[in-house]
Amino acid sequence: MLTEQSAYSNRWRKVSPIAKGIFTFCGILAAFSAGSPVAALAVAIFISCAAIVGAAVPFFIYLRVAAPPLLFLAASTLSLSFSLDLNAPAIHFAESELPNILHICSRSFACLTSLLFLTLTTPLPDIISLLRRCKTPETLLDLMILCYRTLFVLSESVNNTITAQSARLGYATPGHSIRSLGRLSANLTMQVWQRSTSLQLAVEARCNDGAFRFLEADYPNSRRNILISATSGISMILCELAFS
Amino acid sequence: MNEAIISLADVSYRYPDGTDALTNCSIKITQASKTAVMGANGAGKTTLFMHLNSLLRPDGGKLLYRRDPFDYSRTGLRDIRSKIGLVFQNPDNQLFSACVREDVSFGPMNLGLPESEVRLRVEEALKAVGMQETSDKPVHNLSYGQKKRVCIAGVLAMRPEVLVLDEPMAGLDTLMQMELTAILDQLQSEGMTIVIATHDIDFAYGWADEVLVMQNGRLLAGGLPQEVLNSSEVQMELGGKPFVAEITSSLALIGIDLRDKGKLPVSRSELLLAIGDYSFIQRRT
Repeated sequence: MLTEQSAYSNRWRKVSPIAKGIFTFCGILAAFSAGSPVAALAVAIFISCAAIVGAAVPFFIYLRVAAPPLLFLAASTLSLSFSLDLNAPAIHFAESELPNILHICSRSFACLTSLLFLTLTTPLPDIISLLRRCKTPETLLDLMILCYRTLFVLSESVNNTITAQSARLGYATPGHSIRSLGRLSANLTMQVWQRSTSLQLAVEARCNDGAFRFLEADYPNSRRNILISATSGISMILCELAFS
Repeated sequence: MNEAIISLADVSYRYPDGTDALTNCSIKITQASKTAVMGANGAGKTTLFMHLNSLLRPDGGKLLYRRDPFDYSRTGLRDIRSKIGLVFQNPDNQLFSACVREDVSFGPMNLGLPESEVRLRVEEALKAVGMQETSDKPVHNLSYGQKKRVCIAGVLAMRPEVLVLDEPMAGLDTLMQMELTAILDQLQSEGMTIVIATHDIDFAYGWADEVLVMQNGRLLAGGLPQEVLNSSEVQMELGGKPFVAEITSSLALIGIDLRDKGKLPVSRSELLLAIGDYSFIQRRT
């Protein structure tokens, strides 16, 4: 929900998703062009600043959303740094590989900040419309739309069911909790089934015959913003290429 | 009297589980009228509405739009669903796209209209339900009442001739009910036929031009609310009498006749006005 909150309330909410998409793409390219860990870190810092300073994404939210992927990145870095010798069972620190490992990890970090920039500044409907422009298969997009909406409907349903169960001491003991959880999941399965039937009727009632089509949103100063983002993105790549 | 815009002749429908939801049901809905469909739970109101939008096809009998039988071919379905719009009872079942504007644009986009026309219709529909300010909001951040309005906008954007609403007042607070009633009255004054399912006898008594009472999948009574809702058979079926009618008949018993030019008050506001007028006349004489 933090991602959602930031995506809808940041300063660049009304900036065209194309502009933000181009900047993200350039960020990823720049991360791959980075010749050294320092250069990759420079990309990461630049993009994070764009999100925190430019789009005014609250620092706390940024850190909270970045924490889980950073944890994965740290775990991968650690597992790359050590190797297991099966012949003489021992764990070795791969000292000679350290520059390569740091390079890979700093690149991943820069890519991560690029994707964070997009997700924290762009609401999912805008990302979907961007993907539609990029000719992503319609079925995939339809699934994304349905999953996004259903997520909120079902989470509300889960909360209501848990409240109703708790009100009748459904979670009073560990044994009760397990039973209640089982019933919750069984009930949810039925709800999903019923909801899908209702949804089918609802889309048919509005003349749908297959693909979901929606009106694209309008963004003010779209061309100017695309130009700014493309210029800054390309400059970032050129800087990386020049210093590598 | 306007002609019938939708007619059902001996329509029957049985659900796959064997439940008879409609049995030889014959109904007429008058063009540009405000029709309230009433009946106990399970009387067949929702099934009837799903027939009006061609979501269900009758097992027997036929439905007519003006004088033409419903056409269940691909183009026929598109035609009937664009003319008769259905708003579901639970907004969460109807709204499925991420943001308000997108959801409202879904119907007109399905009609294959050009983008400029869709944009115009979406703005018009959002304006009609007073939701322009929230058009960029995600659907899950809306209140229940706002979701209901978006549902109506989503159907209005298809510019139907008949708007069918399944229990639109359910779950709304009094203020929102009044606002929704004002929206429906405005649409009806522009020539749209409004059909709603309701359990609220007082609302139907004051608002509707015609009331249809369903019982076990068929029409029990239909006609003017003052006639239908004052019949003892209907009152027995619905489990109550209109409050305004009860008061006026009680007052008549003690010699107070609130009839104004032969017409009895039908809503609370008319009742209060009639009582005020009566006491004013009494004081003067």
